[in-house]
Formats: sequence, structure tokens, C-alpha cells
Amino acid sequence: MNVAGFLVAQSLNALSQAAILFFIACGLTLIFGIMRIINFAHGSLFMLGAYVGYSTVAWTGSFWPSLIIAPLVVGMIGGTFEKLLLARLYARRDSGAYLMVTFGLAIILAETIRLTWGPQPLSIPIPDRLRGIVLISNQPFPIYRLFLIGMGSAAAVLTWQFLERTRAGLLVRAVSQNAEMVHALGTDVNAVRTGVFALGCAMAALGGVLSAPLMTAFLGMGSNVIIDGFVIVIIGGMGSFLGSIIGSVLVGFVQVFGSYYFEDLALAMMYLLMLAILIVRPGGMLGKEE
Amino acid sequence: MHGRIVLAVSAVVMCATAPILPAFTLTLLTEALIFGLFAMSLDLMVGYTRLYSFGHAAAYGLGAYSTALLLIHFGLPLPIGILAGVAVSVVIAVPIAWVCTRSTGVSFAMLTLAFAQLGYAMLYRFKEFTGGSDGIGGIPRPAGPFGLDFFQGKIGYFYVVVFCLTASFFLCTVLITSPFGAVLAGIRENETKMRALGYNTRAYKIAVVVVAYGLGSLAGALYTPFAGFVAPELFFWLVSGRVLIMVVVGGAGTLIGPIIGGVFFVMLEHQLSEVTELWPLVFGAIFIAFVMLAPEGIWGLLTRYVRAMLPAPRGEAGQEASSAAS
Repeated sequence: MNVAGFLVAQSLNALSQAAILFFIACGLTLIFGIMRIINFAHGSLFMLGAYVGYSTVAWTGSFWPSLIIAPLVVGMIGGTFEKLLLARLYARRDSGAYLMVTFGLAIILAETIRLTWGPQPLSIPIPDRLRGIVLISNQPFPIYRLFLIGMGSAAAVLTWQFLERTRAGLLVRAVSQNAEMVHALGTDVNAVRTGVFALGCAMAALGGVLSAPLMTAFLGMGSNVIIDGFVIVIIGGMGSFLGSIIGSVLVGFVQVFGSYYFEDLALAMMYLLMLAILIVRPGGMLGKEE
Repeated sequence: MHGRIVLAVSAVVMCATAPILPAFTLTLLTEALIFGLFAMSLDLMVGYTRLYSFGHAAAYGLGAYSTALLLIHFGLPLPIGILAGVAVSVVIAVPIAWVCTRSTGVSFAMLTLAFAQLGYAMLYRFKEFTGGSDGIGGIPRPAGPFGLDFFQGKIGYFYVVVFCLTASFFLCTVLITSPFGAVLAGIRENETKMRALGYNTRAYKIAVVVVAYGLGSLAGALYTPFAGFVAPELFFWLVSGRVLIMVVVGGAGTLIGPIIGGVFFVMLEHQLSEVTELWPLVFGAIFIAFVMLAPEGIWGLLTRYVRAMLPAPRGEAGQEASSAAS
């Protein structure tokens, strides 16, 4: 067998896995950076994205609108949740309260999805244009996975440019550094928080839609992916955008190569990687220790 | 209203009425009390030290699996098997506590979660030993030592559970009213200050995490012979979330509150899940409502109402209550 070709194909596989993970991790880390909240509902929002995507595809008959509608719907739900519940907890300064409220939301969302769409997995077909395979160093590789890598990279670059180049991005970075000061300078910090929360939820939903053609929309997808997301965010450093990219790629590679070379340890590899990193750097690779 | 009086009285009442309760109620109550013990163990971390653990399922699963393996492979008598299972879990908990307490706040929560998930993954890794996704079934309740066998029956086992719960409760009460408990409260309120006062707060945190894991594993160990089987789901993060919910809804930082929370939820879950399939939805909503509106939990609400209804006794507590009621 062509070893180099095999390695290339597996690496591309890992990168496409990383792309999906990035959609979860990026939202988690942005939300954490600005509000010090670990959003437990993120996995359920990812799942909701996949289901809304399914309905959109069923309704319009095309894959592409779901890439816009699912993030919009889920982003609005996330923003409403933040305004109605989380915003009331900021004064309490108790990180546990957020963990628990978002955990409650995760349960409610998962149940609502089960009641609305039913328990059976729903599949979204891969759109015609992205079906099929290409040969990469003589190894067949699905086009859809290349598309995922493209989408993930585009999202990373866009988010990075948004944070670095736009005024809104500047505010986001400022609030994550010193919210009180930004507030004192006359910015509506609460609006920034709602916006970032909604944006994070929308990204998770986009990840959900994109992953659905590969693994169908099913009820456990949220609770699987949220743990991966946490691991990435902790590895990269909580609140660090660059850390979420590095973490996604690392975890993507560990998952794909781990399940090939160390089949027995595949599930444990990710946690072992995380523990190793945390023992060396308790705050994660690019994070500050709190 | 004192938690220990409530617990002592209910323990006596439960033991006295156990022989006349219907078998089904007794089984449900046994499970509820095991969960109450599990929730109480987490309260040491959450309520008294403000260490939010999102991986307390690890304690439960460790206790359950080590007891299961000990009972099956070594044929130990039941009480020895349970105690040995707890001992094994405590030994494993020490390095876990050492690593987790390197971080604080949310990172701490995530680290505890990682260990629980690691345990979950390990069950699949060592399939031949743990049964993988099938778990381990057919766990016996061996008699002995000294020919003791009363716990092989339903009522006898119920007494064992009530005894373990009561003993653990009083152990925790002693712990938190001791100077050790005072340091924990200091860490909860202001850890930096405690360090400045010369306390090695990390050592105290490791100690409380180990104790909490020990008692949590006792709950798991009691579950094993009760259910007769163990499954990897015991380690899953949803279990950790559920028990955290029980602590908060019951009333964190009161010991008795989480016990009530655990019992309340197991009973309610059973009743509601027969009536409606919307149960998890209700569960989530109740939980959010408690965090938002009544952070003091069921026990906090109860004490407030009882105080408001009683004629104001002399002393500070009475004045507080009457001003709260007016």
C-alpha cells in the first residue's frame, strides 16, 4: 500500500474532523472569553442546527439554504436564552450558576428535539455537487470532506478577521479583557454579550448542519460533541481563539489516527492528551491560569 | 430546623416502617436513599468548598465497578466487599484530586469531567475485565462475615443503606463543624485570603475531594448489590449533571438538602415518568427555575417557611425569620 498516500488521506480526514470540531470549539471559547461561561447547551444547539437543517432541506429541496437558515434560527434562540436567563445571573458572580442553567437548557433542548422530530436518526443527503470522490496521491477521498475543510478554514479566517479588523471585533476583545472599563466608556456591554452568545450558537448550528450529511442527525450527537468541544477549549486555553484552532486540529488528528493505530485506546487518547497538556500547563496551551 | 434531627427522625421512622412497606416502595426508597447519599457527598465539594465538580459520576462508577469486581472475583462477604470497593476508589481518587486541584473554577469542573469520561473510555478499553458496553451482570450478595445474612433480603439491605447514609451524614457533620470545615468555608469565601493566612489550601482541597469521592463511591458500592449489575453509563457525564442538579435543587451547603433533593428527584422521576413522557422536559425546567428563583433550594425554602410559621423564638434566628416573614 502506498504509505505516503495513506498518510495524506488520513491527515485530510483528520482535518475535516477538525473543521467540524472547530465550529463547536470556536463558539465555546468566544463565549467563555467574554462572559466566563461554559455553555453546556452548546452540544444541544449543534444538534438543533442539524435538525433545523434537515427540515430546511426537506422544505426547500436544496442543501444550501440550510447553511443560512439553521444558524439564523439557532442564533436567535441562543440570543433569546441569554437575554432572558443568563443576563439575570451576571450580578451573582457565581460560575456554577451558569454551568447549571445551561445544563438545564441542554436537557430541555434535547427533549424538545426528540418530541418534535422523533427518536429515529434523520439523514441529509450530500448535495449533488459535492458527491463523489477525488484521487489524492492515488487514494480516493470524498469531495464532501474537502468541502468541510474549506468551510472550516473559511470560518476560522473570517472569525479571525472579524476579531482583528472590525470595530465590533475590537469591542469583543475589549470586553473579554475588561468589561467594566468598556462599560464605563459608554458601550452597551450587555448587547455585546448577547451578540457574542448568539454568534457562538449560530456557529455551533452551522457545524451541526455540515456534519449531518456525514453522520445523520441523531439524538446523541449533542452529548458526544460537547465533550470534544470542552476538551479542545481546555487544551487550547479557555477564551483563546487561536487555541481553539490548534486544539481542534490536535483533537481531530488524535481521533482519526488514534482510532486507526490504537484502536483500543481511541476513546481514551483524547483525554490522555488533555491531561498531559494540563499537567504541564494548567491553563491550557495559550490560556492564562485563572 | 436542624438537618440532623430531621435525618435522625426519618431514619428511625423508615427503619420502623420498613417491614410493613410494600416491596415496590421499599425498592424505590432504597434507590432514592442511595442517590441521596451520592448527592450529599458532592455537597462537600459544591456547597462547602465551592468546587464545582462535573464529573462526580467518576466516584459513583468507581465504587460500583470496584465492588462488582471484588464481589465476583474474590467472593468477599458483602460488607467487606463494599468497604474494599470504597477503599480502592479512595486510592484512585488521590491522584485525581491532586491533578484536578491544580486548577480552579471552570477548569476544575472540566478536569473532573475529563476524569469521569476517561473512566468511561477505560471501561471499553478493558472489555475482558469490565464487560465493555454490556457491563457486568449477576452480581451476588454473598453472606458473611460471621454468618450474617440479613442483608440478603430486601428489608435487610434497606437497613444497610439507611445505616450507611446516616453514618456518612454524621461523619460529614463532624467534618464541617471541625476546624477542617472552617478552613473549607474560608476557601469557599476567599481562597487568596486563606493562603495569605498561611493555610495550604491545596492540601485541604485535595482532602475534601478525596472524602467526597470516598462517600460518592460508597453510594456507588451500595448500588452494585442493590441493582445486581453495573453498566458504563454510571460514568457518563449525564449522571454527573443529574447529581449536581439534585444538590442545587435540594439546597447546596446544607448536607440534608442534597439528600432530600436526591430522594425527591428519584421519587418524582418515577412517578412522573409513568404519567408523562415529558418528564425530562419538566426536570430541566424545574432545575432552571430553582437556579434562577430559589438558589437556596428545597431545604432553604422549607426552613424559611417553617420559621415564618412558628412563633418567633428569642434570639437572632427568630428575629431574622420574623423580619423575613413581614
